[in-house]
Amino acid sequence: MGSDRPVLIPVILGTTRKGRMSAPAARLITDEINKRAGLRGELIDIAELGLRTDDVGAAVQNPELSDTLKRADALVIVAPEYNHGYPGPLKQVLDSYLKEYIHKPVGLAGVSAGSFGGTRVIQNLLPVMREVGLVTIFWDVNFSKVQDVFDDDGKLLDEAYVKRIDKFLNELVWMARTLRYGRENIPLD
Amino acid sequence: MKCRECQLEMNHHADKPVDPASAEEARGVDPALGAIVEAVHCCPECGSTESERIAPGLATHG
Ligand SMILES: Cc1cc2nc3c(=O)[nH]c(=O)nc-3n(C[C@H](O)[C@H](O)[C@H](O)COP(=O)(O)O)c2cc1C
Ligand SMILES: [Zn+2]
Repeated sequence: MGSDRPVLIPVILGTTRKGRMSAPAARLITDEINKRAGLRGELIDIAELGLRTDDVGAAVQNPELSDTLKRADALVIVAPEYNHGYPGPLKQVLDSYLKEYIHKPVGLAGVSAGSFGGTRVIQNLLPVMREVGLVTIFWDVNFSKVQDVFDDDGKLLDEAYVKRIDKFLNELVWMARTLRYGRENIPLD
Repeated sequence: MKCRECQLEMNHHADKPVDPASAEEARGVDPALGAIVEAVHCCPECGSTESERIAPGLATHG
């Protein structure tokens, strides 16, 4: 049966900035996913997608990413807060796909140098999530003052994040299994 | 719609309204809905997704 397949959760590292602190955050979440039986986390670094700026939408899809997203059961988006919003390249990735996202849950992780843990970037992402057909969950991960959360080698300095990610993943995986059942078995009409 | 990998019938689980992305699509908009419908299907075996855009006067495509 299809439902025996591992739950595939791509983790989108949502910035191309050199020296980005969102990278250890995305790696941590991917590692926590891969520690669990029955789940498979896959880090998607948007800096490696060869994003094009000469067109917009489905015309600039990356075929491998499309394949991965088509098989995904849930998504995690790790988004740094830039001027209270999301990075432009992340929006391009969101705008380039649609069927790949519909009726799949998404968990949002905000990353910021400031104290608010990317809450503003998360709020700004919510209407976009809804429009591309992703289903948001009620747990977020907020990496506040991220420069204090990881050392220079990307090692986690604050173990409380493991517990927070655990709660976040519990909810995301429940939604992933439920929506997978719905996508595969419950007809619209 | 059949899955390209498994050849199984896919489950039609979503009709999402989408705005036209070209002049051709704009001519195909369903006046009752004011949108084009993206019909999304999922394979019960491999979980993969396909879709087609549906509107009166528009040739459907995946
Ligand atoms: C263009 C730009 C705008 C930024 N705006 C904010 C902001 O609005 N709020 C904030 O807390 N940090 C802001 N920052 C700092 C980032 O949150 C910080 O770099 C953090 O490490 C996450 O981003 P990173 O993954 O690029 O490192 C900004 C950084 C850049 C490059
Ligand atoms: Zn299939």
